[in-house]
Amino acid sequence: MTSVNKIFFIVIFVWLSLARLFAQDSFADQFNLAKKLYDEQNYFDAITEFKRILFFDDSEIYNYDTNRMIGLSYKNGGKFSDALRYFTIAEIQSSTPEENYNCRIEIIKINILRRTTHRALTMLDSLAADAKYSNKLDDINYWRGWTYIFSDDWEMASSSFSEIQPNHQLALLCDSIANDLYSAQLAKFLSIVPGTGQFYTGEYVSGLISIGWNVLWGYLTINAFMEDRLFDGLMVGTLLWWRFYSGNIQNAEKFALEKNLEKTNAALHYLQYISIEKKP
Amino acid sequence: MRYLLTFFFLIPFSSLPQSTSFDFHSLENIKKFADHLFCEEDYLRAIEQYELIQKQLSNDTIEFKVMYGYSELGLFGKSNELFEGCNYESVFYPDAYLLSLKNQLIIASRLINDSSISSFNSFQKKSFNKLTTISMLYDDEFDIPKEKFISPFDEEEQNSVSSFYDYKVEPQYKSPTLAGIMSAIIPGSGKMYVGEWGDGITALFATSLFAFLAYDNFSADHTTRAWIFTGLGAFFYAGNIYGSVASAQIFNVRIDFDFNNGLELFLQQQNYFLPEYDFCK
Repeated sequence: MTSVNKIFFIVIFVWLSLARLFAQDSFADQFNLAKKLYDEQNYFDAITEFKRILFFDDSEIYNYDTNRMIGLSYKNGGKFSDALRYFTIAEIQSSTPEENYNCRIEIIKINILRRTTHRALTMLDSLAADAKYSNKLDDINYWRGWTYIFSDDWEMASSSFSEIQPNHQLALLCDSIANDLYSAQLAKFLSIVPGTGQFYTGEYVSGLISIGWNVLWGYLTINAFMEDRLFDGLMVGTLLWWRFYSGNIQNAEKFALEKNLEKTNAALHYLQYISIEKKP
Repeated sequence: MRYLLTFFFLIPFSSLPQSTSFDFHSLENIKKFADHLFCEEDYLRAIEQYELIQKQLSNDTIEFKVMYGYSELGLFGKSNELFEGCNYESVFYPDAYLLSLKNQLIIASRLINDSSISSFNSFQKKSFNKLTTISMLYDDEFDIPKEKFISPFDEEEQNSVSSFYDYKVEPQYKSPTLAGIMSAIIPGSGKMYVGEWGDGITALFATSLFAFLAYDNFSADHTTRAWIFTGLGAFFYAGNIYGSVASAQIFNVRIDFDFNNGLELFLQQQNYFLPEYDFCK
């Protein structure tokens, strides 16, 4: 072979190799572009670009990653149904137990956010029962704790986090919130003595007013019966005293529930902004 | 032989790039992708992609798809803006025209006065007749015989259309004045006339009770208590008249609301009598 021919073949070889290298990179580039858009929180465009890869990638190399990223983009855009659809496809496309686990956790996280607690717990139980994920029990308990947080069951949440570590940061937080909540049943029970349920929930003015109304109508009812004015006694007793007495019980329960809602909302707000590695 | 071996060696390198090198943003590929998104009913992204290539690859199919996409997204005004630029000679013009009428009906909820066009085929003509006829229900001056009104519709549609016609001609309104007068004569009867039997009986019972208590206390010379009960009785009596009038008005609003909702639902189920397009088959 002459030297010219040798050079010719080397040039061709290098050119084709480079072309091949760039060709392989075109899908990777597209994926990186979509990922960049995702990282910039431009979720709409990120979804478009990921979908473009999905549509054109006949080799299906990117199927798992793109479906998962589309799911994440939809989730971040608040479109949970679409996100669920793509995570489910990604789960089907997953090729390793780790990928499968990650997709299932993403689906569970959406169920947590949607407060479809039963579904989330069922899926977590199924993961815990799977021998493939025996090394993930802490993570499973972690998400179980979050499921209970979103279903307003702070004691169970604390117990789930405690299984990871007795003094887990979130276990302590859940404990403190659980201890801080009012018992609606206790508030109702205390209201047998008018006003005490309101005092229990810290609504002192409302408690005093409740006592006032009940003393007034109670006195008038008893007084009417003592003076043999049976009809007056029955009317005042049923239409007024009983109405205020039962209202006092309902009122105490309502206060307890309202205060609890305020406390749990404040706790969720706090959890949203504190620095924790993983959140739903 | 050496050349042959070298050539053979290079084949994989030359074929692989062709199979994997890819221009995602060529006109043809953008169009393919947009078509895919359109068929996935991801209209917003499909429109975005079509608009990228519309200048270079403009055709009436794309224009109609964009118009259709906007309509499906609920951007009816935007969809109709596109119709204004639609070419009359286009094969899609009759479909675009029908789509614009649908958009117009949803936006304005009023009678469609537009005329038919000669390029309609028989199905499109039928769709047009149905759409214009049903739009009469939105007109205040509704005056058409029932037989004529239901005649453009298919047999399975006629039952629903007929009930809408009856609603329109004889709405089951309740008179607020009558309800008020009835409650003034017999407390609660106005409420019962509107169909709120529970409230009516309660009003009758409460007003009668306070009237009796007032009478009884006046008879027993408990004047203060008697006046308290008189005041309460008068309050309940006046409240029951006011409540009866308000209930009749609410009842009438509900009738209109149910009618409009039912009509909208029916039209959605019938896809506004528009044909199914086969872009994705």
